[in-house]
Amino acid sequence: AHTVLYITGLQFVLKLTPHTPAASPSVPGQEDIQAAMPVEELDPSHYPATRAAKVAEHFINTRYGSPFAWFGSSGVKKAGLEVRAKLHFTLKEMTRNQDMGLCSAEVLFHRADERKPPQVQCTCSGAFQVNTSAEEEDLYQRLRNATSLLSGSDIPNSVGHIDPEMAPFWHLGGVASSFIMLRESNESTLLNMAHIDNFTQMETKDAQLMFQYDILLHDMVSQEILKWKLLLSWSPDGGVKVLEAEWDPKCRSCERAHLTVTTGIAAEQEMKGDNNNV
Amino acid sequence: TALILTSYYILSKHFYLPANYKNVQCTPVCKQRQHAKSNKTRTSFCHACFVTHGILIFCRLIKGHEARNYDYTIYHPLAEISTWMGQMVSENPDVVTLVDYGSTYENRTISLLKIGLKSDVTKKAVWMDCGIHAREWISPAFCQYFVKEILRTYKTDSKVEELLKNLDFYITPVLNVDGYLYTWKDNTTRLWRKTRSPGTDGCDCIGTDLNRNFEANWGMVGVSQNCCSNVYPGFKALSEAEARSVVDFVEPRKNDIVCFFTIHSYGQLILFPYGHPNVTAPNYNELAEISQAAAKAIKAVHGMTYTVGSFAEALYPAAGSSMDWARLIGIPFAFTFELRDEGSFELPENQILPTCEETYAGVHSVITYVHNKIFYSAAITASATLWTTLLATWFSCTFFS
Repeated sequence: AHTVLYITGLQFVLKLTPHTPAASPSVPGQEDIQAAMPVEELDPSHYPATRAAKVAEHFINTRYGSPFAWFGSSGVKKAGLEVRAKLHFTLKEMTRNQDMGLCSAEVLFHRADERKPPQVQCTCSGAFQVNTSAEEEDLYQRLRNATSLLSGSDIPNSVGHIDPEMAPFWHLGGVASSFIMLRESNESTLLNMAHIDNFTQMETKDAQLMFQYDILLHDMVSQEILKWKLLLSWSPDGGVKVLEAEWDPKCRSCERAHLTVTTGIAAEQEMKGDNNNV
Repeated sequence: TALILTSYYILSKHFYLPANYKNVQCTPVCKQRQHAKSNKTRTSFCHACFVTHGILIFCRLIKGHEARNYDYTIYHPLAEISTWMGQMVSENPDVVTLVDYGSTYENRTISLLKIGLKSDVTKKAVWMDCGIHAREWISPAFCQYFVKEILRTYKTDSKVEELLKNLDFYITPVLNVDGYLYTWKDNTTRLWRKTRSPGTDGCDCIGTDLNRNFEANWGMVGVSQNCCSNVYPGFKALSEAEARSVVDFVEPRKNDIVCFFTIHSYGQLILFPYGHPNVTAPNYNELAEISQAAAKAIKAVHGMTYTVGSFAEALYPAAGSSMDWARLIGIPFAFTFELRDEGSFELPENQILPTCEETYAGVHSVITYVHNKIFYSAAITASATLWTTLLATWFSCTFFS
């Protein structure tokens, strides 16, 4: 079964291991220092902890996300940082307001190369099971048997409203966005999906359903709205996969031409735009 | 019908009648405007209210409408908020005044509601601005709710009455008027953040981030000098008319303003100075304590967690914010509230009321602390001194006479 996950309530994990001392992300040469020092304790209400938590959240969504469940976050309890952040957090499923138990994660930011996506490892304890297979199968069959292709736009609308029939596609967009947001994240970003401009179901010959999405992401740190075009596939068996992703430059005087990335698997290609003006 | 229409036309010339005609209400409205600079109060036609009241009741009967009732659970466009401000004055003329204190780049008026029981002496005051960032719609919604709530309760709740007795509240429901209006244009403009002033020096994007434009280590961190950026601080500090309006009003009153709130979204955070990472407020610990108490008060309402910290620590380093400026000129208690939710500017309308309720609890907790610190600790000191003196006198009389 697949779900869309948010992090709630991070708790402490500290391990004493050699690490590079945590400093402000822009200090050059810091990563070369190899000092055997204890892990620096992070204040859970400070942004290094909350940003790392957000990355872990995106990671979990890419692994377990689906149109039918969405987990919410609420506050880091504790965190520790070396080059990697180690976190314990409680997980919550948002659509049912359900507590899902404890997870622990390690988020590794590549300080030397901010364009390399963070690496995440995560394990969650037993209670983490959301059975959504009935709803997924139902939606899948409805779409397979429909006579016309589905589409939607302006989700949510200006006053935050989402039609109940559109909700699974809002979640689907969120899960697909998580692939992008995971790749785009570094210590100086905090990404969320802000809006779906539109989505259109595409013709397919195989078992996967395919959708084209025009999505707006929001980066809290630069406060920018980032336009992404995504081509994604979904089926209850295959899960969510991002096939193509394309970033649109935000303004006319932006120098950068838009870049295209194919495949949902992390590529060596440079795909990051000039998102961070800070 | 002709009589009604004629009366309505005549009245609209002299009375502040609703611009939103789908909700025509016929309550007499008296205009009381105080010019910010001259401090003169002009009362227009209030004495005529009784005369026209009869006509308007007739009008209401014809229309079949309820008494005027503003919906605090939906988002309102600018025109409706302006009408509502006039309504607050007309319904509470003893305690509410409308003050026009500035204008925007596109020449719109920036107004606040001054709320407080009248006093012969200068009162201490609380400042609250909403809608510095255009897309944060829950923020103006909260300012309106806050006004409604204190006006609803001050006659029956002695604590609120005491606050209004000892303090004046300056509430600006929408500071970035141009930006807010722009976000209502269509669904492509909904996520606008900045002002609507043009770029300079050949840069052809519009708008400055108002919350980077104040004289508080302006331009030093958390900004981009590219005028297309959403954190562009302006070509110089206070380049924006909206920011200058705030400064022109607050600065002369800085010795009276004891508490400064600026309301934003999203993120569920209570932030205190400073946004610049290398500056620490001298009352950092006290600010942290107050904020923690406010977060606790918020959680008690609907269980939502708000994270507490200095702006630089809990959110990101950023210079030029209105909160930083307020603290730097000496206003001791300055806070940035980031309201619901944790991922979106487009907060569903069914969350407006719970968000406002919890935020009210948080803000109320801060104001109460500040109020009691100012008005009670002096009293406590005085009475402690009195008792000490009495005891000392009794002691000496008893044992040394």
